[in-house]
Amino acid sequence: MLTFIKMEFLKLKRSKIFLLSLIGAILPPLLMFIAVTSFDEGQSFEMLFANVNMYMSAMFAVLIFAIIISYLFGREYNEHTLKTMLTIPISRGKFLLSKYLMFLVWIVILTIATSLSTLILGFAANLDGFGIKMVVDSFAELLYANVLLFLTFSPFVFVSLLITNMVPAMIGGAGLALVNLMVYGQNWAPFVPWVCPYLIASGEISQYTANISLSYVIILATFAIGLVISYVYFKKTDVTI
Amino acid sequence: MVDYVIETIDLSKKYSNDFVVNSVNMHVEKGKIYGLLGKNGAGKTTTMCMLLNLTYPSDGEIFLFGKNAKIHSKEIYPKIGSIIETPGFYENLTAYENLKIISKLRGRYNPQNIRSVLEMVGLSDAKSKKFKDFSLGMKQRLGIAASIMHNPELLILDEPINGLDPFGIKEIRTLLKRLAHEFGITILISSHILSEIENIADVIGFMDNGVLIEEISKDDLHKRLNKFVEFEVSDVNLAIDIFKRMELKENDDFSFNKNSISGFIRLYTHLDLRDKFNAIFVKAGIDVKKVNLCEENLEEFFTRFVSNN
Repeated sequence: MLTFIKMEFLKLKRSKIFLLSLIGAILPPLLMFIAVTSFDEGQSFEMLFANVNMYMSAMFAVLIFAIIISYLFGREYNEHTLKTMLTIPISRGKFLLSKYLMFLVWIVILTIATSLSTLILGFAANLDGFGIKMVVDSFAELLYANVLLFLTFSPFVFVSLLITNMVPAMIGGAGLALVNLMVYGQNWAPFVPWVCPYLIASGEISQYTANISLSYVIILATFAIGLVISYVYFKKTDVTI
Repeated sequence: MVDYVIETIDLSKKYSNDFVVNSVNMHVEKGKIYGLLGKNGAGKTTTMCMLLNLTYPSDGEIFLFGKNAKIHSKEIYPKIGSIIETPGFYENLTAYENLKIISKLRGRYNPQNIRSVLEMVGLSDAKSKKFKDFSLGMKQRLGIAASIMHNPELLILDEPINGLDPFGIKEIRTLLKRLAHEFGITILISSHILSEIENIADVIGFMDNGVLIEEISKDDLHKRLNKFVEFEVSDVNLAIDIFKRMELKENDDFSFNKNSISGFIRLYTHLDLRDKFNAIFVKAGIDVKKVNLCEENLEEFFTRFVSNN
């Protein structure tokens, strides 16, 4: 499986989407930096990290992840490489698993990019309250939120197999990000799979009346449903030439 | 007993109620080049996709190297190289990088092997060029390189010479013949260029409307090609009248092709009487400009064969 992941990395060489996703990952810290330096003086490192984590995992990540998923799976159809890969031969299950794992690795890279750029921009903005523990905790919080969010994106894999064009993914991701904004703060936010990862990771879920276990169940159920339907569909469907 | 590398039994593919491939019984012998011939939509690509496990059959069985492909897939498919229509590679990567991915995933990565296979298909100068900047011919060559890189025992090539220039076609033809006749690699090749199939194949399978009409060896094919006498005459209508008076039947015994009054008339039967017919034409006042004894080419044979079936 390590070879599969390495080859997935090689496939991203000179890839514009990879660079764009990195830009997307440093966009929330950059916007927060502009806000802090322009109109919101007196903020601390902790506040900066908290805001970045919120905007990243509840909004930006949803859009970026949808695009990544669509690219990872859709390109194999659009560049006609799926027939090349499957006739190597690679089992369809292994192929799907390697894509899921690559998606997870990509998420970890983006999380590092977000946290690292937040740290650098925090220093650039001359903020107070820097502490290694705080940085590590914030990184862990964002990583946890993004990994939970990764689990909720398995239905997007199915959609990407069904519609290989990236436009629906972009529209879907943007729509979902808007839904997250609308839902955030509502009583039923812990029941929405794409909002609750942030609520759980940040600990904000304790402010809601809902049971945290139910949010975990919803995330895992979303993952399981997406995984099963994408696997069954991919396994049973003929490769379009 | 004949050693078949590919054998299908009633292989079929149905989309809703339409058969795209209907009860195909294909037999490809070891070390032979088998040319699959058919019009667009005849079912050639679908058949090849089913052989490669890219498309699932609706019915029937596939035996590759004498083993059921469904049961022994892990053992069988690493021994196969293939190209299905336009070869698919990652556009942001170079020829070398694309081949590296494939060979790594096959577990047979060897930089020297990649370099020599690129040289073999004439792409050694383009190994650092991105795939998206390749011409169609170069893409096709890279596809061939990827399909032969792991020394397969069977090559399944769907329209592999598409987009190649005449020199490229000649090179690939020579390469494929060498692979089959020197290295014993079995090749299943489809092409819509009939002359190419005629040039390269040992056995030809004729497909139409999803049905494999017949499999003919090259030797048998030449025996079955119609021979005919072609007269270039000044008055085709009069020549037709003469043939009809002699109880020759249009399409069975003769056919014609006219431009205004003059044109060509082809005689398929009674070829030994061509001198006599020539004399009758001249006596009737018809100028006979040419009399040629010809053999039907594969295209004409294919057209006649498909329309008869």
